[in-house]
Amino acid sequence: MAAYVLRRVLWGVVLLALVSLLTFVVFYVLPSADPAQLRAGRNANPATLAQIRASLGLDRPLTAQYWTFLTHIVLHADLGYSYYSGASVGSLIVDRLPATISLTLGAAVVWVLAAVPLGVVSAARRGTWVDKLTTGGALLGISAPVYWLGLLALYLFADDIGRFPLFPGAGSYVPLTDDPWKWFTSLILPWLVLASTFTAVYARLLRGNMIEVLSEDYVTTARAKGLSERRVVWNHGLRAAVTPLVTLAGLDIGLLLGGAVLTEAVFGIPGIGRLNYEAIVHADYPVIQGTVLLAACFVIVANIVVDVAYAYLDPRVRER
Amino acid sequence: MSDPILAVEDLRVAFDTRDGLVQAVDGVTWSVAPGRTLGIVGESGSGKTVAATTAMGLVRGARVRTSGRVLLEGEDLLAASPERLRRVRGATIAMVFQDPLSALHPLMRVGAQIAEALRSHRSGMSAADARARAIELLEHVAIPNARQRVDAYPHELSGGMRQRAMIAMALANEPRVLIADEPTTALDVTVQRQILALLRRLRDELGMAMVLITHDLGVVAETADDVAVMYAGRIVEQAPAAELFAAPQHPYTWGLLRSMPRLDAPAGAELVPIPGRPPSLVHPPSGCRFHPRCPYVRERHRSVDPALEPLAGTPEHRVACLLSEAERRAIWARLAQGAPR
Amino acid sequence: MRRSVKRALPLLLLTLAAVLSACGSSNSNGGGSAATADDGAGGHRGGTVTVLTSQDVTSLDPGITYQSLDLNVLASVVRTLYTYTPTAPATLVPDLAAGPPQIADGGKTLTVRLRRGVRFAPPVNREVTAGDVKYAIERGFNPNVANAYASTYYGDVVGADRASGGPIAGIETPDDFTLVFRLTRPTASLLVQSTVLPLSAPVPPEYAKPFDAKAPSQYAAHVVSTGPYMVAADGSGRVLDTGYVPGRSLRLVRNPNWRAASDHRPAYLDGIDFKIGGSATVYGRQTLVGRGLVLADPPTPALVKKAYQQARDQIFFSPGAGTRYAALNTAIPPFDDANVRKAVAAALDREQMRRVRGGAVIGDIATHFLYPGVQGFEEAGGLQGTGVDFLADPQGDRALAARYMRAAGYADGRYSGGATVQIVGLAGAPDSNDAQIFDQTLQDLGFRTNLKLVDSTVMYGRFCGVPRARVNACPNVGWLRDFADPQTVLNLAFNGKFIFPENNPNWPQLNDPAINRAMDRAELTVGTQARANAWAAIDRMVTATAAAVPWLYDRQPNVFAKDVRCVPELWNQGHCDFSYTSLK
Repeated sequence: MAAYVLRRVLWGVVLLALVSLLTFVVFYVLPSADPAQLRAGRNANPATLAQIRASLGLDRPLTAQYWTFLTHIVLHADLGYSYYSGASVGSLIVDRLPATISLTLGAAVVWVLAAVPLGVVSAARRGTWVDKLTTGGALLGISAPVYWLGLLALYLFADDIGRFPLFPGAGSYVPLTDDPWKWFTSLILPWLVLASTFTAVYARLLRGNMIEVLSEDYVTTARAKGLSERRVVWNHGLRAAVTPLVTLAGLDIGLLLGGAVLTEAVFGIPGIGRLNYEAIVHADYPVIQGTVLLAACFVIVANIVVDVAYAYLDPRVRER
Repeated sequence: MSDPILAVEDLRVAFDTRDGLVQAVDGVTWSVAPGRTLGIVGESGSGKTVAATTAMGLVRGARVRTSGRVLLEGEDLLAASPERLRRVRGATIAMVFQDPLSALHPLMRVGAQIAEALRSHRSGMSAADARARAIELLEHVAIPNARQRVDAYPHELSGGMRQRAMIAMALANEPRVLIADEPTTALDVTVQRQILALLRRLRDELGMAMVLITHDLGVVAETADDVAVMYAGRIVEQAPAAELFAAPQHPYTWGLLRSMPRLDAPAGAELVPIPGRPPSLVHPPSGCRFHPRCPYVRERHRSVDPALEPLAGTPEHRVACLLSEAERRAIWARLAQGAPR
Repeated sequence: MRRSVKRALPLLLLTLAAVLSACGSSNSNGGGSAATADDGAGGHRGGTVTVLTSQDVTSLDPGITYQSLDLNVLASVVRTLYTYTPTAPATLVPDLAAGPPQIADGGKTLTVRLRRGVRFAPPVNREVTAGDVKYAIERGFNPNVANAYASTYYGDVVGADRASGGPIAGIETPDDFTLVFRLTRPTASLLVQSTVLPLSAPVPPEYAKPFDAKAPSQYAAHVVSTGPYMVAADGSGRVLDTGYVPGRSLRLVRNPNWRAASDHRPAYLDGIDFKIGGSATVYGRQTLVGRGLVLADPPTPALVKKAYQQARDQIFFSPGAGTRYAALNTAIPPFDDANVRKAVAAALDREQMRRVRGGAVIGDIATHFLYPGVQGFEEAGGLQGTGVDFLADPQGDRALAARYMRAAGYADGRYSGGATVQIVGLAGAPDSNDAQIFDQTLQDLGFRTNLKLVDSTVMYGRFCGVPRARVNACPNVGWLRDFADPQTVLNLAFNGKFIFPENNPNWPQLNDPAINRAMDRAELTVGTQARANAWAAIDRMVTATAAAVPWLYDRQPNVFAKDVRCVPELWNQGHCDFSYTSLK
């Protein structure tokens, strides 16, 4: 197992290098916006533009720029400096990461806690009103765009602009270390909104898996053994049905850790997603590289963790 | 025979499907006494498994219609409450299934599955005790190295050992009745014999009644005391095992026997499969259900449905066939010589 | 500068248009009975205002910054040689200067005397001297700073053409409180007007040089204030991650070294907090119902409607927010023919273009390129226009358009050539609606069109600003002045010598030798009124070529909370000026 993990980690490093190269190509070689132009505004004559380019290091050959970038990361753990604020990319990311982690992990807890009972019950009571209600709710959750749901949540429940002021509104996020209660209450609406789509998807998935599993032979055996129906459904059924969901959840969390842009934007949460979006709008290359690499890192780690977890959960998969 | 411990009376099971009502079991009556083995033989689709699982109360649902009675020690299981059924299953009546790889939970260790069976019927049994008892049970079914194997996952065991483990699990609470549904089908031949021997030994040790469901007459010949042959949801012939093999009376039984390789057949004799395919259970054939595939069919057989009648002379031997007894004996005499029909 | 990015969500446009056009006259002081321009006198002292903005500032370095929001922040943080008061966007007022400028030598020498007693904020603390202003301008030429307009406006200073961050000979400091600019050409009038831009805000060289030595300069992280407020900083003067957290927050606090006696700003507020990076929609709603809030984003049409209907005293329509026009590419067919261009101008229904943006309260129909608040506007014809027939009817004159097409050689009054006209506009309502109206107008004239809607950066950076892209028409472009002098509106936009292969500001690629010569002469004209007259004449000439079709003199709506007495900067898109704003 250790050798397996090590191999995956090494491959992960190779992948990260590839991602950084691809990001570099996309933004430097095929740019959609020129940071020098954005900085200069339309008043700049070509000489000024050239000057700005030089000051940002954009006039050097592409390979030299990439080499500098790569060596800085590997040798000095230095991701460079934002073209705009001059802040170091590393510090920007470290500053924003806790918010994204808070948002993602909280939402994950919500959607797992919600999806499991919904999925199990709607599978066990297939065809009844419980099942139909869950399916209908799931359809809504999957179809509703997150941004719209967020606005709706704010217009209904935010304590500053909502019709039924219950929860803190947009922009009220504070770090956990500053004020734990305020941190918690400010994240309730974002957690619910972000979790809604996932709850719907996971409940549906679990329902499908459970229906399949409940018709498997070993479930019949469990009943034949005289186990209570509750034990049959939850210990035998769920145990077998949940494995694909665990891996999916791992991957989704990995993705979300790279930033949930829309939720962060609506609720004004200063996370990685927003950082990434703003960097793209400003063509702030160093920050873009930093956030993309971070997101790739999370995805790679999530993949490794998920594969290991799968082997742990399903012993049939383990290599000998 | 002594009083039966499990008696199925006129059991009918139908499934409401999109294509129509599937009459899987159409009036089946059999019983088994303690210490005796009933073999139920038939091809797939004959209803043999459904009858047995219905007896356990495992076939329930909005689309299932059952009628008849299943009397376990005098109590009708079909009318029992779910809680009563739960208490009876795995304790008084147990079942062993065909494919232990799919019938055992793939993600739970074998010992844990046995322990679960124990503890769900013995409240107050500690985990340690259950584990110890599980190891004992595994040793009892002749699994070597039981102390290690108790923590194995099903896929880590060989086919034969898996089946032994499943048997150990079924017998954990010393049931009075064991239903074994094709217990050897998924195994290779040498292992089959071992498993059958194991089942016989355990049956004798515990004084269980055993119902052995199979499509393999060889298995039945070795192990069963009585045999029931099922076709299209009904019993077409029922007799003590020796009697059935010596003087089978139903054309379907003849077909089964002749399609089976036998050591005492003349050298060079060919295996003769039964022509045709199993009938639809939604729209069964009119008259005698076997008539489309029967080499001896007459016009009358297409419209008259034979009932299960005892033979004159040997009342334990029952047949559902419209040919006369004399005709049937004559035909069998010919077939036993090796004649084609 | 060109228009900043407007982001609007497509909501309820037609009802918005109906509501707003039913009321609101074109009162140039703010539509209908909405909030009116305020000079801020008599406000209450104290309190903090929270500014909500979904966009971050681009840079806090006065030598770099050039965006509207940045100018709004810096207006309260640094002091320039001259400035505007919020309600007089065309009148220079001394700020750091002690009095009016002295222009001599036929416009080749500018002398400015500095006020005494103005001090830098901590940690520098000392008095501001002429050398600080000199360094501030010189660093604009440093590639590590690379100011976008330094060479445009200070380029005529002796030695500026060779400057790269070191001393410039043409900026002299005979004593600590006197600045003398020596120019190679008589453009001192333009130069003094340009000192309202932040480049002339003093920068202490002994403090800033180490930061300016890095590429790019790190001075933005350590910017030092001279105005009534400063960016909250730590003991060493570092504002980055203390007062300014990029993408998150910006905190302005009182500058302890500022003296009210040395300034005309009242500075009522105790502090200003910027909340950066949320959703503009949510911010708008919060501002409308909250307290102590100012919305820095352009309000969405839905918000404008809601505010106009329910909280009219919370919305201000700031005039002089620029001219919107449709640029026609004069370098390639079919718009290389002046008659065709005039036909397009005559055919365009400019009132409809305005209606989809909200109707009369949103601005006046444009008739030429100088707009209200820019010197020379009245001289060029004011709202009435220059008198050209193809812009006489704001609803368009199809018959006249047909006549011009016939004059161009198309006998039945419609285009019959083979070329497909490439139009590039902005995605997102209401800009996309305007682009579509324009597209339809061309089709009605018989053109085959290909309309592409993209975002602002792409439109300017890849299409309209790149001659090689061969875009025929850009209906969503516009121009904002840099300061009140009309040269900043007309020169870069229409002078043939500013046609660049990339980042081209002269979108129509107008290259008329007579106009070019007139512009070159007007550049060197001395005296505010003389310049106004000269450039007004050029405005008339440019309008007559129909190289671009002006359609709206924009008013920028601004929204603020009910307890905020916002004093809008009429010279900067109507942003609330925090040195004059107070809480009710």
